[in-house]
Amino acid sequence: MEDLSLEKIEIQGPTLASLIQRASSSPCDVDGLLFGQIHRIVSTTLSDDSPATSSSSTDQIVATVTSFISSGKTVSFYDPLGRVDSLRVDSLRVNSPDHLLGWFSARRTSPNRPSMRELTVSSSLSSRFQLPIENSVNPNSASSSVFILLTTPLTDQLIHTHEYRAYQFKPLNRRLEPRSLGIVNIGPAFRGHYGSFNPKSGFPELLCEVSSGSSAMNEDRDDEGSSLSGKKQAVKDQKEVDALADGFQVGSLKRLVGVEAASFTGGIEEMYERMLAKVESLASEVEKSSAKVLELDNHNRKLRYRVARIER
Amino acid sequence: MASSEAFPPLIADQLHYLLNHSPDSIKIENVRSGNKFNPKILDRFTLVIPYCMDTIKWDVIYNSEYPASPPDFIFGPDDEDFMPCSSTDDSLLDKVLSEWNNQDSTLLLALVQGLRDQYVAYQRKRVGQVDDDRVKFEISTVLTRKGIEMQMTLGADKPEEVKFAVPLVMDMSINKLVVGCPWKNEQKIYLQVVYPILRKYESAPSSPRLKLVPSSDLKALFSVEDVKLPPWMDGMCLAEYLPHLEETLERQILEAISAIVLRRSFVEALTIFLGRPLEADPTFCRKASFLAASGPFPFVVHFFFPTQFPKQQPALMLQSCQHLNQLSEPVKLNLLTDYPWSPRWEVGRMAERLCDFLTDEAVNFKKYCNEALLQH
Repeated sequence: MEDLSLEKIEIQGPTLASLIQRASSSPCDVDGLLFGQIHRIVSTTLSDDSPATSSSSTDQIVATVTSFISSGKTVSFYDPLGRVDSLRVDSLRVNSPDHLLGWFSARRTSPNRPSMRELTVSSSLSSRFQLPIENSVNPNSASSSVFILLTTPLTDQLIHTHEYRAYQFKPLNRRLEPRSLGIVNIGPAFRGHYGSFNPKSGFPELLCEVSSGSSAMNEDRDDEGSSLSGKKQAVKDQKEVDALADGFQVGSLKRLVGVEAASFTGGIEEMYERMLAKVESLASEVEKSSAKVLELDNHNRKLRYRVARIER
Repeated sequence: MASSEAFPPLIADQLHYLLNHSPDSIKIENVRSGNKFNPKILDRFTLVIPYCMDTIKWDVIYNSEYPASPPDFIFGPDDEDFMPCSSTDDSLLDKVLSEWNNQDSTLLLALVQGLRDQYVAYQRKRVGQVDDDRVKFEISTVLTRKGIEMQMTLGADKPEEVKFAVPLVMDMSINKLVVGCPWKNEQKIYLQVVYPILRKYESAPSSPRLKLVPSSDLKALFSVEDVKLPPWMDGMCLAEYLPHLEETLERQILEAISAIVLRRSFVEALTIFLGRPLEADPTFCRKASFLAASGPFPFVVHFFFPTQFPKQQPALMLQSCQHLNQLSEPVKLNLLTDYPWSPRWEVGRMAERLCDFLTDEAVNFKKYCNEALLQH
């Protein structure tokens, strides 16, 4: 299915907020990549009368933006002609496991219509990248054709400060067609989303108890070999746990399940505390590195200005 | 605009080159900045580009934080199908954009020119797709003419129309005919033809609206308002209409050029009575000012010549050298156009009669000036 039409494009409130925040706090125009998924939502409407048409189900193909990454400038993953460079896309998305849904462009004091370059970038991006459609009847894929445009009005206004529009690139007529941008929230109106919900947890699959059971079953296996692989596994598990909660023993996780669990509240608290400590130390590291990045950024700006002979 | 607001120097160079060297008189408006921390560094503006006897507005977006990158363009709201970069055959745009060098101030003009050329082709394609037999026929018959621009106007509240701007071909260069021609660009006259698109319930096409549009500088020589357009007969087409119009215009322009000679000889005849002019327009002889005196009262006479001279007499304005009004400006009399005149007189007689009139009028003017002074 080449020319698949999206019913609408949806975005989570916090994602949109942080996208607008990113656009308004950056010193200049920026662009970046949008991640998310495309899924088929089947909504069934039941009615009391006329059994022949008692239920009708409608299929909607909906794109949901779940996250984004900003490049901090324009002409980041494409050239001035708008041709997308796959290598630059890969280096910008930095191993993000999310599917590439499309891209965004944020520019100040300009008309809220796609520009010449934006159209070409959308065309080039959608011809190179694809993502699967979740919940699809037959396994299908769609192109990364979503484009979100953020602008500010031409004249300064007190109330109306930002505008955003969503588009889908249609290869058939080579056009960016406007789509409504829905903001996803909790509530009955968004029930359809739960059907295609996939949990995404960073917590590792730990063998713990199961591992001891399996070694018991495999009696014919060499004991030393088993303990060696068991040790290796334990070290690996410990590493993964360390990534989340520094210094918490992987062995204690065993007690999270089974009969001991009820009396293990203290252990869980310990794990959370260690997780918090880890997050805090990460936060302070991020802060320090952000300061360094800002310093470098300012230095780069000075150099760029000097090259462009801008005096301040 | 505050004086401290400015474009980055290299962008300013490109912009100046564009405004000074473009064959069409492009204007710039809405200069603004997209920079959060240095809003005084301007980096985006709207170009107002003449097209098809009208203008189109394109927004040009640079990025002041990355002034070395080429600009991006946003076209008009009605032109969302205009995609110049996606047509792969245009190597000029490709070349300019991919080999962008911000030190080369000529590139912005090259880019705008390239885009405008593509825009001409795009509009022509749109007009070609209009389902109207007359328009289809007109396109097929005038295609051999060069430089025709077309435009499709669509709108919810406007009737559908197709507009043609046809440069009229004359067997002469107006610039070369004018002695000491000050014009940078070749002067031309265009015929604007607007075809209303036939609606379903109409049986016969209504005749198109016609209008002559000269290049901006031509009005010093020739006024198109004086041209009476030949009537458009029913069932006529452009290819039939144009040769006749061009012939008429050619004759009228030659007349306008010979009128310069007449005006010059009249100014020369005036010098016998009034002495050397203080100031005179040497190329088109549309203006001349002389110092005159009535007894001890000196005053300046300004002559304004219409393009229709000598059929129409020049307008005169008298200005005192001695009297100032409340605003400390010299006292002037309103334009005088009502005095004895005949286009059949020879220039010497015209000058003589005019000076006779001036001698009488000077007395009245002196009285008027003195009264004005008393009131003051």
